Amino acid sequence: MAKSLAAYDGIANSSVIRELRTLGGKLKGIRVVHVNSTREGGGVAEILSWMIPLMSDLGMEASWEVIEGTSEFFAVTKSFHNGLQGFPVTISRQDMETHRAVNETNMARLRPMLADADIVVIHDPQPAPLLDLCPERKGKWVWRAHIDISHPFLPVWKALQPLVKDYDASIFSMSQFAQPLPHPQFLVAPSIDPLSDKNIDLSQTEINAVRADFGLDPDRPLLVQISRFDRFKDPLGVIAAYRMVRKVLPVQLVLAGGGATDDPEGKAVLDEVMDAVAGDPDIHVLLLPPDAHRTINALQRMADIIIQKSVKEGFGLTVTEGLWKAKPVIGGDVGGIRRQVFNYHTGFLVNTPEGAAHRIRFLLHHRAMIDEIGHKAREFVRENFLLTRHLREYLTLFHWLLHGEGESRIYL
Amino acid sequence: MNKFIVRDCTLLTRMSGVKEAANLRELRDRVAACGENVLYHHFCETLLRPSFDYPDYHNDFAVWVKLYLDDRVLGERLGILDPYSIGSLEDLRERMLDIIDERLSELPINPAVSKGNEFYFLEATTVVFETGDIIEEPLSLPGKIATMTNGSIFYHFIEARRRTSRCTDDFSEWLSLFGDAGACYTKTLCSVDFSFLTLAEMRRLLVERLGCIGGNNG
Repeated sequence: MAKSLAAYDGIANSSVIRELRTLGGKLKGIRVVHVNSTREGGGVAEILSWMIPLMSDLGMEASWEVIEGTSEFFAVTKSFHNGLQGFPVTISRQDMETHRAVNETNMARLRPMLADADIVVIHDPQPAPLLDLCPERKGKWVWRAHIDISHPFLPVWKALQPLVKDYDASIFSMSQFAQPLPHPQFLVAPSIDPLSDKNIDLSQTEINAVRADFGLDPDRPLLVQISRFDRFKDPLGVIAAYRMVRKVLPVQLVLAGGGATDDPEGKAVLDEVMDAVAGDPDIHVLLLPPDAHRTINALQRMADIIIQKSVKEGFGLTVTEGLWKAKPVIGGDVGGIRRQVFNYHTGFLVNTPEGAAHRIRFLLHHRAMIDEIGHKAREFVRENFLLTRHLREYLTLFHWLLHGEGESRIYL
Repeated sequence: MNKFIVRDCTLLTRMSGVKEAANLRELRDRVAACGENVLYHHFCETLLRPSFDYPDYHNDFAVWVKLYLDDRVLGERLGILDPYSIGSLEDLRERMLDIIDERLSELPINPAVSKGNEFYFLEATTVVFETGDIIEEPLSLPGKIATMTNGSIFYHFIEARRRTSRCTDDFSEWLSLFGDAGACYTKTLCSVDFSFLTLAEMRRLLVERLGCIGGNNG
């Protein structure tokens, strides 16, 4: 169901909602098109699923288009993803042709909409070639990079850079992720929707039902990591940490994730995880469908501690979700997790399975601290990482693109 | 007449184009060359950015020097710099460079950070807009401040000091139009030491102190 800004009054401050209405009211009628490569699965799709209705509520003509691709195309873009995160991969000339050809096919369908839009936001590398394929464009085009490209494998960045350099601006989640480009590079952290199925308050009955469905013991501590089965999320490291804790405390572990349609590597990683589980009945590996948002919500709410032991991370929305549910998060000391997890305040940053095991044991022996950290964590997200802040920054960017490009200050 | 038009501002942070600094000498050289907007962002606009708890220092340079260069001495010297009591951003730059130069002369090495912990020089694009609210007379000021966003508090109470001819806040500028009736409010505003307050704390304190005057008047 499409949401309106009024629904967030009381969750965010009323003055914040009023501010958005004033800022958005001055953009009434503009045509905004967002383009990405998957409708379901992953943080980008989740952000767009709330952003489009709210932009519409503010009077913009906002739409969300998804490019369609072949398995070959998604294998290439997965290589892009890995290479941009620093892993040595090969992108051949043939791969680049596949990338462009799929975008050409999509452009045939999207051309009228993209050419006439006032603002086009292209998310991540998959649809990046669309700019070059739309020379008749009238509006401003922005490339939004959601992933950590702080230390890319250079040949891959060199392959992507020509596709994104001609955009009017780009957006990165953190300054560390930005790369030299001949246009302004803005910094916008992502956010969560507190009213989405993944974050909305749930009844204890619903939580208990999910617990029972998965055979989880209500009387023993529960550790939960929610993420795709992806090497960068280090699920094997989480299992190693669990085994260290399990020697002294009767914990249970849930590793739950869905497969996104643009992630062909997931199956291989899942197989490795199952090998590592080796039949342990207290490790619950859950491969959830893309629409299992309430299940994920319930798992996070029943957890004692949320784990996100990534070794590479964009922003880490699963961390934000865990904090919003008033849980301490033990997270990898990488990427955007550093902006959310503060030792002794919202959780702990760790670098190894040993570090994670140490902090898990510490927290389970200091139960009062779990509650104290949880409370601070929720308020921290309320102030900084709800969609209202995110939306405001997009509106600010749109004003800059339409009225003040080149200016550091714009008076409306 | 003499109505106060309430404005709000939103900031969007962007890369300044200045290369990041990985050691103290690089920090010095980049500070010497960066634009004033960059200095302003790292000294003053920190109030509008996500932060968790009370940072040791309010300017990003002092925080970075302490946390990543691990130089507490320099952190303390930079941390006490008050951009609002120094005449201009150029003066602030000069003071900062003097402090760093002094520290470089004291140290046997040029301290550096590990990869991933460099200082990134940022600046902000600001959009200023009217909220539709107006304040008609001083007595209404605390009630209106109570409902202002952080952006409005920043714009009228902090950022105004860079913008107004007398380097004061917008409320005081407006109150000066009311002669004696505004003087006690202005005096109260002047007494607020905002250096260690968050914007939410500033709002609370302003409402509390200005509210007391209204109560006395009433």
